[in-house]
Amino acid sequence: MSGEDLTPSVETDAGLISWETWDRIKHTERFIAGTAIVFVLTFSWAITSAPVLSDIFQGYHRLALSMLAWMLLGLSFNLLLGQTGLLSFGHAMFWGGSGYAAALFAIHVHDAPLLIMVAGVSFSVVLGFLAALVLLRLHGVYFAIVTLAIAQTLYRLAREPLEPLTKGINGLRPSFGPLLGVFELGEYHGPLEFLGSGMYVFVGIFFVATVVLIARIRKSPYGLIFKAVQENETRARAIGLNVWRYRFAAFMLSAFIGGLAGTLYFMVTGPGLSSGSVVPERMLWTNSGNLVVMVVLGGLGTIAGPLIGVFFYQWMGNFFNGLEWTIPGLEIVGPVGQYWQLLVALAFTTVVWTYPDGIWGMITDFTGALRDPRSLPEKTMEKIPWLGSGDDTRRGDR
Amino acid sequence: MVLGEVIQFSFNVLFRASIYVLVAIGLSIIFGSLQYVNMAHGALYLFGAYAGYVIAGTNFYTDGILASQGQFGLDMGFVAALVLVPVVVFAVGVVMERLLAKPFYDRPLLDQLLVTFGILLVFQEVVGEIFGKSSLQYPRPDWLQGAFELPGIGVPPGFESVSTVRVLAVVLTVVLIGLIVAFYRYTNYGLAVRAGTEDTEMTELLGIRVGRPFLLIFALGASYAGIGGLLGGFQFGFSYQSGVEIIIPALVIVIMGGVGSLRGTILASLLAGFSVAFVGVFVPSMSTASIYILAIIVLAIRPNGLFESEAIAQ
Repeated sequence: MSGEDLTPSVETDAGLISWETWDRIKHTERFIAGTAIVFVLTFSWAITSAPVLSDIFQGYHRLALSMLAWMLLGLSFNLLLGQTGLLSFGHAMFWGGSGYAAALFAIHVHDAPLLIMVAGVSFSVVLGFLAALVLLRLHGVYFAIVTLAIAQTLYRLAREPLEPLTKGINGLRPSFGPLLGVFELGEYHGPLEFLGSGMYVFVGIFFVATVVLIARIRKSPYGLIFKAVQENETRARAIGLNVWRYRFAAFMLSAFIGGLAGTLYFMVTGPGLSSGSVVPERMLWTNSGNLVVMVVLGGLGTIAGPLIGVFFYQWMGNFFNGLEWTIPGLEIVGPVGQYWQLLVALAFTTVVWTYPDGIWGMITDFTGALRDPRSLPEKTMEKIPWLGSGDDTRRGDR
Repeated sequence: MVLGEVIQFSFNVLFRASIYVLVAIGLSIIFGSLQYVNMAHGALYLFGAYAGYVIAGTNFYTDGILASQGQFGLDMGFVAALVLVPVVVFAVGVVMERLLAKPFYDRPLLDQLLVTFGILLVFQEVVGEIFGKSSLQYPRPDWLQGAFELPGIGVPPGFESVSTVRVLAVVLTVVLIGLIVAFYRYTNYGLAVRAGTEDTEMTELLGIRVGRPFLLIFALGASYAGIGGLLGGFQFGFSYQSGVEIIIPALVIVIMGGVGSLRGTILASLLAGFSVAFVGVFVPSMSTASIYILAIIVLAIRPNGLFESEAIAQ
């Protein structure tokens, strides 16, 4: 919305609740932090027990917890692909690697949650450092494939050769003590019962902190250079930027947040709320692939996009998956619920193909266009290449 | 005895390498010439395996839509499958090039990687819904499973534990690779593809239509991947996820060998086959992962692969 054709209205004159004010506010870091806090406070309640929403989402508290961890991983991935232009097909290495580090630390060293976090994240950062030494010499597709290769190697290692340490396919399920020796992380009852558990508050704090950190990075000159590297590497180099250094920084940040996500996911998937669990499958390529699908589907290069993508994917996997409804006349193909992965794959392909901004892009475009409803059809045509007038500019027979 | 073991091991290596090179060669040529990275190439392996399964035998399915159909299949035998699968997958390749690949030739590589990954996932899910998600095994006729025999001579010395299908696959692969290299090097179509690789616009400006040679090489690569699917599926079993499972090592091999270099791809396939067979003897669980370790080492030393092509290095 450029804003120059806005007809002056009472709101604009008032200057307080005009579109301009809103456009300004919604990009401030304080607003983003506030939204993140409100989101975390209401998320578990919304999907488990809010009046109408919980029927649609059919969530449960543990799902809310694991979604938050997935969202952090989505933000970590997005920092690479959405901000710096590096496609990682191996984020599962941080996801599972930090989980194993955290589990082993909990078993052999100490069971304090914060120390476990430190252990998981440190391992992820060290892993990221070692991987970066090889990876950052590679470009584009090479980078993507080798990240995948590293993650797959770690998966195989955790599965069998390191079995004495990792317990192979059985995984590790250590429990841990109360936070700072005082706060129990288990179920919570009392005035703040809508939060569900102490663990939720623990995860929520890390979630908000990460969102704030990422908002800060995106606004900072340093983060803008990431963007510059993505847009045009040659040019960034020509104006004297050390591209390798910024890529390295982005990769380390991504490893850091990925480690945070992986350790938290380890903590929330245990048999009870104050125990964790990690299995080799967490480093399997499917996790990396699903992550790519989630983030791209949600919307690359934004903060809300990865969160929405993760939520959509998990919702499809948990609720839509269970739909028993069959299409009348097509009973032979079975209930629609079993096609959820096909539908997600189709949605993903369509998004990459025709609408790279993803679901979040659709939402912002649509709400943007709603301010000037007459332009809506036109803008829609513009967005979708093969509907628009750009058809004749496409290549003929090669 | 030692001779037997050496020959058995060699055929292990060569068979693995054959499957890899059949899938990787098409991928490498398309990547090198059209600057198109095609993860959906894995779907062609998948189609090869399933088409062969339907053509060669007639089977019951335990889940998926076909489960309610009773016995399903053409029951024409393995030889018919070996002839028909490349034809079927060639046709799929033509359709795929025109409808799915061509609109993306001019997009950035990362876009292509994402969209073809999505297409691969879609194909995988469709196959999974139709044929079921459990893994399948080909019926195994004796003449393919037994030790390799030459007509009139019997089992050659040292071949006691080398099954016919392995010898067949290796010989077939050598012939097919010879054919595609000859096609690439010595025919006018191959020349047009190579010229198009150097500079598409200039080639077109000179009045050469590169569209059809590109289509042909794409479909040829597709049918090779289909044969790879048939042979690999026969030997190792297959499931709806086989497409993704083969495309990861195949892409690693292409990149390790140097994108667009036929020599590089063949050499990298042999290296990968060797490391899988060799590591498989000592640490079976790390056999496939050994390809990745190998690739990480190779790429750490030579970031553009064994035979680097400056075109792709961006």
